[in-house]
Amino acid sequence: MQIHSLTHLTLAAMAAAALTACGGGGDDDGPKAVTLEFAAYAGATPVKCGTAVAGLGSGAVEAQIKDFRFYVSGVQLIKADGSKVPLTLGANDDWNLTSGSNAVTLIDLEDGTGSCAGTGTAATNAVVKGTVPAGDYVGVELTMGVPFAFNHSDYATATKPLDIQGMAWSWQSGRKFAKIEVTDPAGVAGTWTAKTFNFHLGSTGCTGNPASGETVSCSTPNRMGFHFHAFDPTTQKIAVDLKALLAGTDITKNVAGAPGCMSGGTDPECLKVFEALAIDWKADGSGTGLPIDEGHAQTLFRAVAK
Amino acid sequence: MNPRAPARCRALRRAFAGGATLLAGLALLAGGCGGGTQVIETRPSTDAWTWVLPAYFPAPKVPADNQMSAPKVELGRFLFHDPRLSGNGLQSCASCHHQDKAFTDGRLQSIGSTGELHPRSAQHLGNVVYNATLTWANPSLVTLERQMETPLFGEGPVEMGVNDANKDAVLQRLRDDADYAARFAAAFPGESTPIGWPNVIKAIASFQRTLISGNSKYDRYLQGQATLSASEERGKNLFFGEKAECFHCHGSFNFNDQIVHAGSRVVETPFHNTGLYNIGGTGAFPEPNRGVFELSAKADDMGRFRAPSLRNVEVTAPYMHDGTIGTLADVLKFYAAGGRHITSGPHAGDGRANPYKSDLVTLIDLSEQDQADIVEFLKALTDHDFLKDPRHANPFVAR
Repeated sequence: MQIHSLTHLTLAAMAAAALTACGGGGDDDGPKAVTLEFAAYAGATPVKCGTAVAGLGSGAVEAQIKDFRFYVSGVQLIKADGSKVPLTLGANDDWNLTSGSNAVTLIDLEDGTGSCAGTGTAATNAVVKGTVPAGDYVGVELTMGVPFAFNHSDYATATKPLDIQGMAWSWQSGRKFAKIEVTDPAGVAGTWTAKTFNFHLGSTGCTGNPASGETVSCSTPNRMGFHFHAFDPTTQKIAVDLKALLAGTDITKNVAGAPGCMSGGTDPECLKVFEALAIDWKADGSGTGLPIDEGHAQTLFRAVAK
Repeated sequence: MNPRAPARCRALRRAFAGGATLLAGLALLAGGCGGGTQVIETRPSTDAWTWVLPAYFPAPKVPADNQMSAPKVELGRFLFHDPRLSGNGLQSCASCHHQDKAFTDGRLQSIGSTGELHPRSAQHLGNVVYNATLTWANPSLVTLERQMETPLFGEGPVEMGVNDANKDAVLQRLRDDADYAARFAAAFPGESTPIGWPNVIKAIASFQRTLISGNSKYDRYLQGQATLSASEERGKNLFFGEKAECFHCHGSFNFNDQIVHAGSRVVETPFHNTGLYNIGGTGAFPEPNRGVFELSAKADDMGRFRAPSLRNVEVTAPYMHDGTIGTLADVLKFYAAGGRHITSGPHAGDGRANPYKSDLVTLIDLSEQDQADIVEFLKALTDHDFLKDPRHANPFVAR
């Protein structure tokens, strides 16, 4: 009989645990599910692969999207009193990875069609999904970037979503935090003197330790912090504005450095781009790569109605 | 005399140059003269692999998660020479790394599998296991495993051209080959699906670690088995002497100044601007070949590149990161002049006056005979056995 009662006890405990894990079955005190949705825009217009985008760069030219992917990490919801609560991502999958105290999500707004066929993939992911403890939240804070603890892992052996070759950045033994590219809509017959404007964000000035075989530091982190003091994920989404990213830059030519802005510390095509990101960048290479004033003045991300 | 070198180092350098008290001299030289490395006498090895090395070569460093084994090295040799490993099946690692040229390709700039011109010249791979950093100027690349991701997966420029769209198809080519199935199983025993990118990379890295070159005429001379000619002897004395000062950057057993090995604790990774360019007098090097500056954007890093090992330098022409110096005689002229003065064209500028130039590269009073003697000594660093060692050769030729 002792066995019988033990079984009862165990079942009861399991049921209780299951209820807790499921969020209390509608109980208001349980964890709260949050979905943050991203969408590609140029100004007020939604944009996608395969459809020409008008009005980009200093020349307000037309371009085709070639790639539109970025990593998001450090997501925290903001309470009315200003305190912040980290979002706990759902289970690890193709787009999300949590390991220890670090978490990252790959946002993929290209579908591999049109000019995105060359480097893109058919699969897409526009959301960061997770949970926070019950409570009232008014805003959200995010980072466009890969946490240092993840950034320099081997692409060949890395866990999803850090295994995407297109997001690898062997140049700095790290990853592209963002890979947003636009190309001449007329292709080889077009008039752009540099056919593709590449925006690749990533940590630079990285060094390794030959004795340990590990990357140990990067002088210029280039992780973009941004936030919305007022954001309701049930009625709003986050627009990623291509027009703002490229504002003031002639995207049809490459004055110097890598084609487009690949986070080069002295690349003239990075001047306006980093202004849009509100990351400290200076033409003489002395920029710190840190967010300016917590990214208050950034223009790339904007809250819009769903 | 060079006031920068401590007296102890100068004395030991002479001991090395003279071939006397060699092992002790080397150990102290490496440990006490700015290399920051430490030579140990016992050589850690695993049951699976035994290194065959000259006495003055330290035990190579092998990552804990990629121990050496004969089946793994042999698999790596097949993969290294197999064009199926590129996206379009047209190029292998060996396409730009020819054994008869100490595993470089004889070109100013290499060409990738899709025809894209690489901005830099392929490097030789002799003794690459001892390189503290890999490629010409990248402080972040410190293992052969990580380095290999660049030629395999790199996009700018495309080398092997493996990408998200074709990486599974490329592996499938290997899975469809019964010979590879057996070789991967032997190299990675106990793994249920051994054919994958991590193991491809581990095997090739293991093969690369076996590319040891230590049997040149100079090595045999050090071991009392050969005699240097009068010209080689004069060249050696100039090379290791205070006049030519070549040894500052090329003075280790591997004739470079970035060494990592099994006993290393702290490893210094110097990079040098040798005055190859000075565009418009600003110090600039041509894009995208500005050395460490490309990664760091720090002015002091302009034009700084890693000093390559000079072993087998006779067969690794053309020289410099962009292949713009064609012969060893011209390399000697370049260093004797303390840099290169380009008088016309887009790269015009006096490299001798580059503000970021290493202070070790200065005008040297080297006669034509001095220069010719140093070239003769450098030719004594060619390891002819290495250039045709069947253990490194293309296995598909013999099949």
